[in-house]
Amino acid sequence: MNTLWAIPAIAEEAEEKGKIFDFNLTLPIIVAEFLLLMLALDNLWFKPVAKVMDERDEAIRQKLMGVRDNSDEIKKLQEQAEAILKAARAETTAELNKMRRETAASLDAKLQESRQRVEKELAEALANLESQKEETLRSLDKQVQELSDQIVAKVIPF
Amino acid sequence: MQIEQLQIFEIDNPHQVSSVEVGQHFYWQIGNLQVHAQVLITSWVVIALLIALPVVATRNLQTIPTGLQNFIEYVLEFIRDLTRTQMGEEEYRPWVPFIGTMFLSIFVSNWSGALLPWRVIQLPHGELAAPTNDINTTVALALLTSVAYFYAGLHKRGFSYFGKYIQPTPVLLPINILEDFTKPLSLSFRLFGNILADELVVAVLVSLVPLIVPVPMMLLGLFTSAIQALISATLAAAYIGESMEGHH
Repeated sequence: MNTLWAIPAIAEEAEEKGKIFDFNLTLPIIVAEFLLLMLALDNLWFKPVAKVMDERDEAIRQKLMGVRDNSDEIKKLQEQAEAILKAARAETTAELNKMRRETAASLDAKLQESRQRVEKELAEALANLESQKEETLRSLDKQVQELSDQIVAKVIPF
Repeated sequence: MQIEQLQIFEIDNPHQVSSVEVGQHFYWQIGNLQVHAQVLITSWVVIALLIALPVVATRNLQTIPTGLQNFIEYVLEFIRDLTRTQMGEEEYRPWVPFIGTMFLSIFVSNWSGALLPWRVIQLPHGELAAPTNDINTTVALALLTSVAYFYAGLHKRGFSYFGKYIQPTPVLLPINILEDFTKPLSLSFRLFGNILADELVVAVLVSLVPLIVPVPMMLLGLFTSAIQALISATLAAAYIGESMEGHH
C-alpha cells in the first residue's frame, strides 16, 4: 500500500522523461560510432591480421610443394646409389670369378705337369727295372749254362 | 536505474528498502535535441577498448604467433568462420568487418556492463551501465543490420531482389513485407530485453542480499550476454546471406 503512495513522489522527482523507450539523438550517434568503429577495426585489426594469416598459409603451402619435389629428387638419388652399388658388386664378383678361374687353371696346369713328370719317372723306372730284369735273366741264363756244363762234366767221366 | 541503499534505522516506508528506478537517464542537450549521455560515455569506453587491443597486439606481428597475437588471430578466425558459415565461401569476405564489428561491439559492451565497476563514477542522474541496455543502441544496431541486408540484396541482384517478396508464392507477400519489420524489431528487443533484464535482476538481488547470492546470476549474465552477441552477429550474417542468395 505504501508503495503506491510512493509512485507520485517518484514521478515528481523525475521531471525529465525517465522512460525506457526514449528515442532521441543517441540513436544516430550510435550508428555513426558503429560505422567509424567498423572502419577503424577493419584497418587496425582485420586487414593486418588477415594478411599475416594468409601469408602464413601461403608459405606453408609453398613448403609442402617444395617437400614433395624434394622427395622425387631423393628417390632419384637413391636409385642412382643403388645402381652404382649393383655395378660395383657385379664388378667385384666378376673379378673374383676370373681370379678363381685363373688360379684353378694354373693349379690344373701344375697338377698336370707334375703328373706327367711322375708318370715319366715311373715309366723310366719301369724301363730300368725291365732292362735290369732282362740283364739278370741273361746273366742267369749264362750262369745256368755254365753250371749245367760243370755238372755234365762232373757226372759224365771220360 | 538507481538503487537506493539505506541504513536499517532510516527506513520509514517499505518502499524505501529497495526502490529500483528504471529508465533514469543522464541527459545532455545538443541544440534542441537530447542524448542519453550515459550511453555515449560507456560506448566511448567500449570503443577505446576495442581499438586499444589490436593496436597493442599488432605491434610486432610474427609468422609464429604467441600470446596476444594468437588471441586476436583466434578472434578473427572465429568471426570469419561465423560469416562464412552463414554466407558461403564466395561472398563472405567483404562482410567480415561488419559482422566482426557487430559481434565485438555487442560482446564488449555487454561484458563491460557486467564486469567493469561503473558505479564508482557517480552521475547526477541515472548511472553508467552497458550501452546495450538502452533501446537507442539496440535499435541502432538492428537498423544497421536491416540496411545492410537490403544493400546486400540490391547490390547483388539489382531490382530483382524485390522478387523475393513473392517467393515462394504471392500469397505470402504480406508476410514477407511484415518480415522486413519484424526482423529489426526482434533483433533489437532480443538484445535490449536480455541485457536490461539481466541488469535489473542483478540489481534487485544485490539490493536484497549483497553477498553471495547474486554471483550465480552474474555468471549466468556473462554467459547469456556473450550468447546474445553471438546470436546478433549470426542472425545479421544469416539475413545478409539470405538476401544475397535469394530463395530457390
